[in-house]
Amino acid sequence: MTIKPTWKSTLKALLYLAPALVILIVFNIYPIIKSFFMAFYTDYDFYNDVVFERGFGNFVTLFQDANFLKSVGNTFLFVLGVVPISIILSLFIAILLNSKIKLLGFFRTIYFLPFVTSVVAVAIVWSWIFHSDYGLLNYFLGLFGMDAIQWLTDPNYSMLALIILSVWKGLGFNIIIFLAGLQNINQQYYLAAKVDGASSWSRFMNVTVPLLSPTLFFISIISIINTFKVFDEIFALFNGKPGPANSTLTVVYYVYQKFYEEWEFGLASAAAFVLFIIVFIFTLIQLSFGKKFVHYQ
Amino acid sequence: MKSALSKSTIYIVLSAGAILMLLPFVWMISTSLKASNEVMSMPPAWIPSEWKFSNFAEALKVAPFDRYFLNSVIVTILSTIGELLTTILAAYAFSRIQFFGKNVVFAVLLGTMMVPSEVLLIPNFVTLSNLGWIDSYKALVVPWVASVFAIFLLRQYFLGIPKELSYAAKVDGCSEFKFLWYVMTPLAKPALITVALLKVINSWNAFLWPLIVTNTQELRTLPVGLSAFTTEAGVKYELLMAASTMVVLPMIILFFILQKYVVAGVARSGLKG
Amino acid sequence: MEIHLNKLTMQFNDIKAVNKLSTTIRDGELVSLLGPSGCGKSTTLMLLAGLYKPTSGKIYFGDKDVTKLEAENREIGMVFQNYALYPHLSVLKNIMFPLRMQKVPKKESKKLAQEMAELVQIGHLVDRKPAQLSGGQQQRVAIARALVKKPKLLLLDEPLSNLDAKLRLEMREEIRRIQQEIGITAIFVTHDQEEALSISDRVMLMNKGVLQQDSPPQEMYKTPVNQFAAGFLGNPPINFVTLAKSGNDKYLLNELAPFRLPNVIEEDKVQIGLRPENLYISDEAEAICTGKVIHIETIGRDTLIKVEIAGETLRALIDPSLQINIGDYCHLGIEEECIHYFHPETGVRLGGGDCHDDQTNMEKHA
Repeated sequence: MTIKPTWKSTLKALLYLAPALVILIVFNIYPIIKSFFMAFYTDYDFYNDVVFERGFGNFVTLFQDANFLKSVGNTFLFVLGVVPISIILSLFIAILLNSKIKLLGFFRTIYFLPFVTSVVAVAIVWSWIFHSDYGLLNYFLGLFGMDAIQWLTDPNYSMLALIILSVWKGLGFNIIIFLAGLQNINQQYYLAAKVDGASSWSRFMNVTVPLLSPTLFFISIISIINTFKVFDEIFALFNGKPGPANSTLTVVYYVYQKFYEEWEFGLASAAAFVLFIIVFIFTLIQLSFGKKFVHYQ
Repeated sequence: MKSALSKSTIYIVLSAGAILMLLPFVWMISTSLKASNEVMSMPPAWIPSEWKFSNFAEALKVAPFDRYFLNSVIVTILSTIGELLTTILAAYAFSRIQFFGKNVVFAVLLGTMMVPSEVLLIPNFVTLSNLGWIDSYKALVVPWVASVFAIFLLRQYFLGIPKELSYAAKVDGCSEFKFLWYVMTPLAKPALITVALLKVINSWNAFLWPLIVTNTQELRTLPVGLSAFTTEAGVKYELLMAASTMVVLPMIILFFILQKYVVAGVARSGLKG
Repeated sequence: MEIHLNKLTMQFNDIKAVNKLSTTIRDGELVSLLGPSGCGKSTTLMLLAGLYKPTSGKIYFGDKDVTKLEAENREIGMVFQNYALYPHLSVLKNIMFPLRMQKVPKKESKKLAQEMAELVQIGHLVDRKPAQLSGGQQQRVAIARALVKKPKLLLLDEPLSNLDAKLRLEMREEIRRIQQEIGITAIFVTHDQEEALSISDRVMLMNKGVLQQDSPPQEMYKTPVNQFAAGFLGNPPINFVTLAKSGNDKYLLNELAPFRLPNVIEEDKVQIGLRPENLYISDEAEAICTGKVIHIETIGRDTLIKVEIAGETLRALIDPSLQINIGDYCHLGIEEECIHYFHPETGVRLGGGDCHDDQTNMEKHA
């Protein structure tokens, strides 16, 4: 039986909520609304916070800007490169980790390590690994008789370098969540399937995958949203530039350029708004997809 | 999958993966301890012939990493304590107090989690410049002392604490606030440690926001300082790696000590999704 | 401390969990709130504790109106069904907790808590955490914590229901002992009639938020005020049959089977209640009814038979030395005073039932 709310209890709740709410309203909720409006500021004096003109001009400019279109394309390319590889690899490792091995904690710690470290720091380390003359990676390739690759200066390879770094960095997070999902599956299902004579592959396809689908679903949403927002990696890997010939210019990087380097607040807000819409649409698609195919235990 | 892959194959594959994961860190530390003429030797030397710990001192000379370090510590501690306080209070209200509009407020807050934080960058920058907070600790800390995710996590934990305990405490003469402080908070310690650790990691590693709201060197945090250092140090990779080690090491140590809470927190956030 | 409830009402949405409850609980009395789940007994306790605030009505502790007083200021102790011990505190700290809230100096509160632990016989366990204790021990800690601040009223919410059968008996007597030793007024919520009847001075029987009967245990058993009270107490449960008058001194069950009742009521239709333990096998002349034995079962030292009469079944506890077989016809007799009469529609008691049953018998069949 629940006690009904009263004005007195509401006031009390407000006191408890006040500190969090003040911060969240000022720095979370207000900016969401404000950024929506700012996207329509076509003439804006930031210093005095005066708007001279509003309109759809920013969006028109955006979609005529080859750089913006390129940033959208690059972002999709990046997402497409990172998410599937990362999910397949991490699921594979999580299954291996879940096969009742010793040293589980040890391996888990190592795989998770990149997650707790600064993106900037590890990106700088990787830029050293990617070094064309003295980098570790080209050295290894050389051992196999392959030519050195200009990882960070050749526009054809810079995206690949970024993807390698991102997969390496994000693997541990996915592994932990997959592992938790796997450990959450009741062993009885496996026993039942075994009794029914299912082979290990069909047990994987018919027991693990369906029962893991909520986890798979969650990871794919989170991964896609996070990869859409890539910035730190690029900034640090390419030393404050969006890769050679804008080859790793992504939407957030574009926002940063317009906003912080060119002070085009309206244009930057419009780009950020487009990013939000893209993420939102993906979330919606996945939610409707998830309803059909995700089995909750 | 057990019959498909034997145990030893599993160990070999996992070990190979683990080596790949660790390699960049090993390489970072190895380079950070090399003499500059050894850094670019081919084939690469894994173990420095001479351990040059002086690289760290050298890096400190080129850029004030001690200052950056202090800034990062201050910002991390303040925003973590701040977030814990706001989170404990808000999670209590959402889990234990009945009030008008509770569901609406909660739904709106959860809704904000869908918006990428990069979208908030520009308006928040404008707000802070209007407040005159650019280039201050306030700008680095205040916007980050509340988190919807943390509130949600702690609320779930609080809901699992039996209601009778709050009744018992009330009958025992305990006011609600004291109950929160003396009973709920100690009981929620695992969840609070998780929240705090995730905050410490995020706050320590944050880059874009501190990059934008700080202009002067004195206020740079480690990642921002390190990023600027790439220009300042030029091609001196041993110094760059020494600096990277300084940034990375505290979190790695913290993680080794408290990893079970980090893992539990990440796993819990995943299962709730 | 004497407690008055005056038309106490508690409404949750459109359910009246407690409806116009009025009573007085005397100083030093142990009162049971008894009833099926959802009858409002726990809500009443929460109202007494101040954890719920009533929709209307008043609560007085002595002369003081405490209706609006918060729980923390009511000077009460409470024991919960799941004990509600603070898991992170040791036993001693749990018991000290109410004293710490009253800002009693640490040394003194330690001493008081230790004394209280001795009283409930867990003095040797004070350094343990609640999770390291058995259910019965946790219960003792909960009682000690409730009593340590010398409350004026002790509330117990189904305190025994999480214990196994043997411990339950033991703790029940323990609660009674402690209550009498301290002389505190206590209110005890339970759904178990045996518990209520065995330890309390007085039982308040509730159903659907309404107080049905408020009387000492024996009286409730001997003269239930209505059909609900008669049906709730007693195991095996009382038999109810509705009879229609047919001529002088003659009643028929389902227009078929004759019942012989003393002619004490005037209604044409009446519902009678016959407790199985009051029925016995008699000769035809003495019998009130006759039927066919359809079931025989041994319960402890007694034999329970089920007798079919005109489509209805009556349960009777009979002398186990009697030779009886399924399919036999038998005559059932009962002392006249042991027949309870109820109104067939309202269930209100009409008369009868002043059985010369002694206390032991009542507890045996509670």
